Amino acid sequence: MSSYRLSKGGLVDRMAPLSFTFDGRSLQGFAGDTLASALLANGQMLVGRSFKYHRPRGILTAGAAEPNALVTVGRGGRTEPNTRATMQELYAGLEAQSQNRWPSLDFDVGALNGLLSPFLGAGFYYKTFMWPAPLWEKFYEPFIRKAAGLGKASYEADPDSYEKSWAHCDLLVIGAGPTGLAAALTAGRAGARVILVDEGSLPGGSLLFETATIDGEAAADFARDTSAELQSMPNVRMMMRTTAFGWYDGNVFGAVERVQKHVRDPAPHLPVERLWRIVARHALLATGAEERPLVFGGNDRPGVMMASAMRTYLNRYGVAPGQSTAIFTTNDSGYALARDLEAAGVDVVAIIDSRPSAGVGYRGKARVINEAAVCATRGRKAISAIEVRRDSRTEPIVVDALAMAGGFSPIIHLACHRGAKPVWSAEKAAFVAPAGLKGLEVAGGAAATTNLAACLGEGAVRAQAIIKELGLSCPPVALPKVEGDEDTHSARPLWSIPGVKGKAFVDFQNDVHLKDIGLAVREGYSHVELAKRYTTNGMATDQGKLSNVNAIGLIAKARGVSPGEVGTTTFRPFYTPVSFGALTGAHTGHHFQPVRKSPLHDWAKKHGAVFVETGLWYRSSWFPRSGEQNWRESVDREVLNIRKNAGICDVSMLGKIEISGSDAAEFLNRVYCNAFLKLPVGKARYGLMLREDGMIYDDGTTSRLAEDRFFMTTTTAYAAGVMNHLEFCAQALWPDLDVRLASITDQWAQMAIAGPKARQILQKIVDEDISDAAFPFLAAKEVSLFGGALHGCLFRISFSGELAYELAVPAGYGESVADALLEAGKDDGIMPYGVEALSVLRIEKGHVTHNEINGTVVPADLGFGKMVSATKPDFIGKAMLQREGLAAPDRPQLVGVVPLDPKQSFRSGSHILAKGVAATLENDEGYVTSSAYSPHIGSTIGLALVKSGPSRHGEEVVVWNGLRGESTPARLCNPVFFDPQNERLHV
Amino acid sequence: MASLVPCPNCGRRPKEEFTIKGAALKRPAAGADASEWFDYVYLRDNPHGAYEEYWHHTSGCRRWLVLTRDTVTHEVAACRDAADGSRLEERT
Amino acid sequence: MSEFRPILRPVLGTKQAVSSATLRLSPLPEGTIIHVLARPGEEDMVPFLGSVAQTAAHAVRPVSPGQWFIVGEEPMPHKEMKSLFAALEPRASGVDQSHGRVRIRIEGKMASRALSKGTALDLDPSAFPVGQSSVTLIGHIAAHITRVGSEAFEIIVLRGFAESLWDDLARMSLEFS
Repeated sequence: MSSYRLSKGGLVDRMAPLSFTFDGRSLQGFAGDTLASALLANGQMLVGRSFKYHRPRGILTAGAAEPNALVTVGRGGRTEPNTRATMQELYAGLEAQSQNRWPSLDFDVGALNGLLSPFLGAGFYYKTFMWPAPLWEKFYEPFIRKAAGLGKASYEADPDSYEKSWAHCDLLVIGAGPTGLAAALTAGRAGARVILVDEGSLPGGSLLFETATIDGEAAADFARDTSAELQSMPNVRMMMRTTAFGWYDGNVFGAVERVQKHVRDPAPHLPVERLWRIVARHALLATGAEERPLVFGGNDRPGVMMASAMRTYLNRYGVAPGQSTAIFTTNDSGYALARDLEAAGVDVVAIIDSRPSAGVGYRGKARVINEAAVCATRGRKAISAIEVRRDSRTEPIVVDALAMAGGFSPIIHLACHRGAKPVWSAEKAAFVAPAGLKGLEVAGGAAATTNLAACLGEGAVRAQAIIKELGLSCPPVALPKVEGDEDTHSARPLWSIPGVKGKAFVDFQNDVHLKDIGLAVREGYSHVELAKRYTTNGMATDQGKLSNVNAIGLIAKARGVSPGEVGTTTFRPFYTPVSFGALTGAHTGHHFQPVRKSPLHDWAKKHGAVFVETGLWYRSSWFPRSGEQNWRESVDREVLNIRKNAGICDVSMLGKIEISGSDAAEFLNRVYCNAFLKLPVGKARYGLMLREDGMIYDDGTTSRLAEDRFFMTTTTAYAAGVMNHLEFCAQALWPDLDVRLASITDQWAQMAIAGPKARQILQKIVDEDISDAAFPFLAAKEVSLFGGALHGCLFRISFSGELAYELAVPAGYGESVADALLEAGKDDGIMPYGVEALSVLRIEKGHVTHNEINGTVVPADLGFGKMVSATKPDFIGKAMLQREGLAAPDRPQLVGVVPLDPKQSFRSGSHILAKGVAATLENDEGYVTSSAYSPHIGSTIGLALVKSGPSRHGEEVVVWNGLRGESTPARLCNPVFFDPQNERLHV
Repeated sequence: MASLVPCPNCGRRPKEEFTIKGAALKRPAAGADASEWFDYVYLRDNPHGAYEEYWHHTSGCRRWLVLTRDTVTHEVAACRDAADGSRLEERT
Repeated sequence: MSEFRPILRPVLGTKQAVSSATLRLSPLPEGTIIHVLARPGEEDMVPFLGSVAQTAAHAVRPVSPGQWFIVGEEPMPHKEMKSLFAALEPRASGVDQSHGRVRIRIEGKMASRALSKGTALDLDPSAFPVGQSSVTLIGHIAAHITRVGSEAFEIIVLRGFAESLWDDLARMSLEFS
């Protein structure tokens, strides 16, 4: 016989039948079922195969700790492997597949592993796969890879959405069982901001299968009424289907809410899962306790189940485990199950109690066998009999289900996530959380409190104390009256059972059995952390929720010490597995990272720009025109046109910082290595910022717009970093200076207008006289545009080496102004250009960027040695720049490179070698930092950092690119390829 | 997953809003000798326990803070604005 | 080209408000935002700023120690702004951020729930009452949040990030729209 649905009872809705499939077979359940309860109701006791030996496995628990009943739910992109059938709510159309079997669950070839078991014991891969080494790649690894793992992930994209959220509360209650409900109610009535989370679909925890009454009301009704009151309170948030999985610094708790894992077709406006970060002033852990299995032969056979799980299926889901059951118990909880089974009309054949006498007055029909143990089970894919051992004699008893009640282990994972170690309580025969945790208390079953009235009382009293500690007032607490509850205090743990026959499993999910633990101890791996790694006990998706304490007990026994001395392995988040989807949240696809858009983005797009990602920015690379075959044609045209006519380029991404205050000039003097104190109002100056170690950090121009007001520009890449750095200097280094910093990067649309015709075009829109006399090179000032319709800033600075300006206008007007300039310069041949052309122009002029400012160069390396002030008393980097090595003559320094044959080219990153030497690290002379095709030179040109570079102009070298196998004869030269006298700047 | 930093201006905020610079050391005087500068730029104590660090509330008030953090427990014992209050200790 | 009149292009100009019974997300007009930075040591700046900014059309929002935003619905003419800046001196300097920052309004019963998907700020009225401002991360983007009503918030964000933040806020509001 197998499990079946009772004709009445339980919290399932018998008026709402649901169809689902298991391995393609169509089955029926009810609303309110889990997949596990529905499978049991259909007599499906075999639900999977075990990890290593492929043994038939059934449903062991009714909750989060389930090690066996792992199935794959859903299809396509919604395929979710390793779903615990005990946690999966049933819905119409649910599709579940068993795992770890081939070709079918009933006939599984992998079960042959069971025959190989002598070779698959603890540490088998360390021993078996040691040699011969060549077999690793071809044989062992593929074998292990195929054998390892449980369900299979889908290769299809997940069609659903996920998100994250923060929440805040005075009191977070974790677990909505009797303790948690009582605590939440107390705190809620006191007016505190309460969040109550529970991983189940219904609040109540153990109340949902409890037969005791509370204030004369059925336990499940009490749970329903209490949660209804909680839900009516605006200061209380109840979050069901939400697993608190971790406790983090700052009293933040991580939780995952399964918003739509219980529906077939998730609504698109809701996420399927939501990751919560809950900031709690205080938390109460009311997670209850986990029942421990007993370690006897064949304890993994389908039909063997935890006693509390059997009671849950019976009372909450109306599902009987079989026709004739036995209960193997070490404590009184087994008798509560016996009573409930008998009340439901299920035969209890025997109660096997390891103790000399039962602790409660059991008056049922079952035969009670004291001082006895189950030492083995019989059956193939389901249990058919047990062997009971008493006084060295063994008696078989025919059963179709067996419950095991090995005592309770408080669920204290979260309490130990921040480094606290559990302590062993001999009195409670359990590991409990240590006292004195800050911001978290443990109550109820999680604190090894075992009876219902005590749990309800403890929840209320602890909540009251916390509320008072938080400075809120709390009305007196009325404790409800409980009737019909049994004290299920665990008498004494039974780690090992005499006369065990066959494999007695300690860790069901990892197929770790009694002998493996013994082997680990004998081979010297008896430290709990070593035993875990050696045997794999406590690993994988259930992280040893059922197995760890038993393993510790067995190790303790083998070592002749107390479990406390063995100790536990480290508890780490997550309590149960959390999907990558939930951890990623909404940051996928379009929302993966923000896009930072220039105010001229749409202007550039309108003119056909091809964009390139630069950090979060999209910069226009070039502007192709019809007939151009490739990007080089576009870039060459843009470059030639700028040197002949004019071009306009978006440079809004440059960092812009307004620096004001009476000490602004002094401040700049300290952050730049060159002098700024005496920069005249109306002038711009190129500045080099160093790091404290003397290396160049960033460069840019800073203009003095008024006596104590400066407009600084930084490079695009270092804009944020420079702002942070300046704030550090102002706040942490020199708080006595009156200097005020405002980021104005986004305020201004900034465009470079470059080329011999730049002035005549610009003058059409600028109201002030910008002739060379009135507005010479490096002039900078606020200007009025379009007859006073708009105001902006104009700077006569040049990156291209041409007559050039940068014009900043309020961002919202950027597009309009850029278009006005195109219109104004139409007859002068103005064209938009992108960063590629900009790059060619600056390489032609030997201007550096962060390609050259690579973190290892000092000003002299780039030819800026004379810029560094010798007279300033202090500036960032001054002291360390004095170091002898930084003035060494053979440092890599800036130089130009051209190929000997103009038809040849080379790439940035290529190395410079002396002619005729081997390409070795010792012979490396430096590398090409920037390169481009120069239409003016008619060949590729490059900038390079080469040892003693400036003294080697004219030397023939080889540019070597090992990655591409390229070797190009070249000549070192002056890094300024175009207009070395800067005549074009000053027209 | 989470960790909150008590910004004296903004209250407790997640660490993602901050940028960490490292040890909060006093910058040597301009004319200090080379070894003092070398210590300031390169040498760190890496203590097991309390450590003073510069943190910047980059996505908040944009103030630089001096945070006393326990390197073992991550507990923050104190946090003040870098421009305020007690001066940094000289390294000995 | 003195006859040419430049045209303002609001960065969220093409965005449609997201609106439902419990939530409304809408771009605010690109009016005036003045960033005020006080001289170190200045105290009692708020009444001073109130008097300088004068009209009820402008509100003062704290940004960080010694810094405020003065915000207004209408763009402030160039001359007026210059004289306001002058009036701030020497106690503070003013920086025009009217184009550098963009304002978004989110309001309704579920506004704080939607925002909590991005920010770790405790938006409960007991912790973040009307008139309170704070700079915080919303997802990956830093923004300035002010509670402007019992169920209404104003968000100020850098112009370059405005579209991305809008898209994020719209996604965060999806559940309530």
